[in-house]
Amino acid sequence: MIAFGAAITKPDVYRRCAEPGLLRAAEPGSAIYAMEGLDSVFRSYNALLDRAAEQADLEALVLVHQDAEILDADVCAKVREALRDPDVGVIGCVGALDVRSIAWWEGSVALASFVHRYDEHGGGDLAAFSFTWADAPPYARTGEVDTVDGFLLALSPWVVRNVRFDESLGRLHGYDFDFCLQVRDAGRKVVTADIRAIHHHSLELVSEPEEWVEAHMRVAEKWDGRIAGVGTAPGDWKARARRAEAERDAVRLRDHSNQLEAAARIQELERILDEATHSISWRMTAPFRRLARAR
Amino acid sequence: MIAFGTSIAEPEAYHRYSRPGIRLAAEADSEVYAFAAVASICRSYNLLLDAAAKRDDLEALAVVHPHTEIVDPQFCAKVREAMRDPEVGVVGCAGASGVHSIAWWEGAVTAAPIVQRYPEFGGGDLPAFDWAQPAAPPAEVDTVAGLLLVLSPWVVRNVRFDEALRMNHGYDLDFCRQVRTGGRKAVVADLRVVNHQSVELVKDINLWIEAHMQLAEKWDTRPADWKQRARRAEAEREAARAVTHANSLAAGARIAALERVVSEVTDSRSWRATRPLRELNRLRQRRRSA
Repeated sequence: MIAFGAAITKPDVYRRCAEPGLLRAAEPGSAIYAMEGLDSVFRSYNALLDRAAEQADLEALVLVHQDAEILDADVCAKVREALRDPDVGVIGCVGALDVRSIAWWEGSVALASFVHRYDEHGGGDLAAFSFTWADAPPYARTGEVDTVDGFLLALSPWVVRNVRFDESLGRLHGYDFDFCLQVRDAGRKVVTADIRAIHHHSLELVSEPEEWVEAHMRVAEKWDGRIAGVGTAPGDWKARARRAEAERDAVRLRDHSNQLEAAARIQELERILDEATHSISWRMTAPFRRLARAR
Repeated sequence: MIAFGTSIAEPEAYHRYSRPGIRLAAEADSEVYAFAAVASICRSYNLLLDAAAKRDDLEALAVVHPHTEIVDPQFCAKVREAMRDPEVGVVGCAGASGVHSIAWWEGAVTAAPIVQRYPEFGGGDLPAFDWAQPAAPPAEVDTVAGLLLVLSPWVVRNVRFDEALRMNHGYDLDFCRQVRTGGRKAVVADLRVVNHQSVELVKDINLWIEAHMQLAEKWDTRPADWKQRARRAEAEREAARAVTHANSLAAGARIAALERVVSEVTDSRSWRATRPLRELNRLRQRRRSA
């Protein structure tokens, strides 16, 4: 039996986003654990793992964020296919190689089969690079990765029974990367599968940067020396500090530059719009447009 | 006598920006030092200081960046007002306190209402340093921006730009630190300028990073837990990248929404049907202006 789980802190979001996807993906015998969220993602997910672990006939547990909507009705078949390799422990629909920190997107992203659906500015969709295979870049592929994004995680029974999210790391960030490291450290594989989903998410990606920074530091400290590349960098600590401080400020400068560029483009568009809507021809033809709208 | 100095690396920028501004601001007896740039900004600016230092009647030297246009007819009066405090060594139009690196805008920024005039997207004006939410001057600061550096006679005669800094970034911060180490103040005054600059704030970010590190090595001598500092900075760097990415997404979404509205207008039947009238009108206007 393939079970599904979600930790719910916003019931309306769950009903609008995750629930339709779970109903689409679940099989007649599937259990759906729609659990009230606890004080951290780590703790909530561990509670879901504890419940699923009791199921003797468990084939897999699929965990989704309350704002993640599975699009494929055949998810169970895809999960079973991936789990045919007994070494596979975790399956996701977004994953990357050479990941060295909780900022997994700084690695070489191998698969991203989702749409980022946002509400701001009238709403819109941002399709990730492998959502449509026909448009996917040459490096898009399924298979083994270092880590997957936690908004959708399918776990093998062995993982459900033997690995837990590390609650000492924080409340929200880095749980997915740390979990994948634990699974890999235990000799199991982390893989991506062609599962498509919609992530209904604000355009704000890191809502609490300080908490994110703390989680980044804890995860780096935990895994430094245990998994190659994680928590390490060239140079001694002083050289690393100097370089990272400079690069941090350079990124912020780039951000200011990007914002200026956007403001300039917005100003240009507003100017075009203003010129058009204040032109004599636009004003002359206003009655026709009103008539067309009325019809 | 208030003197003006500018270092000319691009003659066009001098003709278009700094020269008209200096002409507007200068008084009848003002000396103007307009020298060809040599090697680095620091060496070029030292040449200006050396020239001005020879004048016994010097009240101040305004070092004007070639892309800065002074648009303040009261400029000299405001400089004299700021220099009434004999401890003031440097006056600028923007600066910050709580500065830890060459990214001075990460501190608490004070700035006059400076305009950033950019050439991209058909050109336009934006309030400069708007992203730093600047406070209004006057204020004593740690550093002022190199757009405009007005120096007291004492500074002109006793402080020099550090020519070991060869990357042309952070020379302003370094100079202000030297001035403050010499017991003088850096202040921001309400000096109005236009900063003619691309929206791309730094062309070679790797060079800027090297300059950041070089300045940190020179001035940051505090004892530190380097491991903790490295861990934090590496985390903050990646958080900053995520925030930058999110901001770009948000800006892209806003631009896309606006582009949709513009398309709705310019793709409408009425807009297309009246195109010949607009073209006729443009032709008429061109003929009239010719």
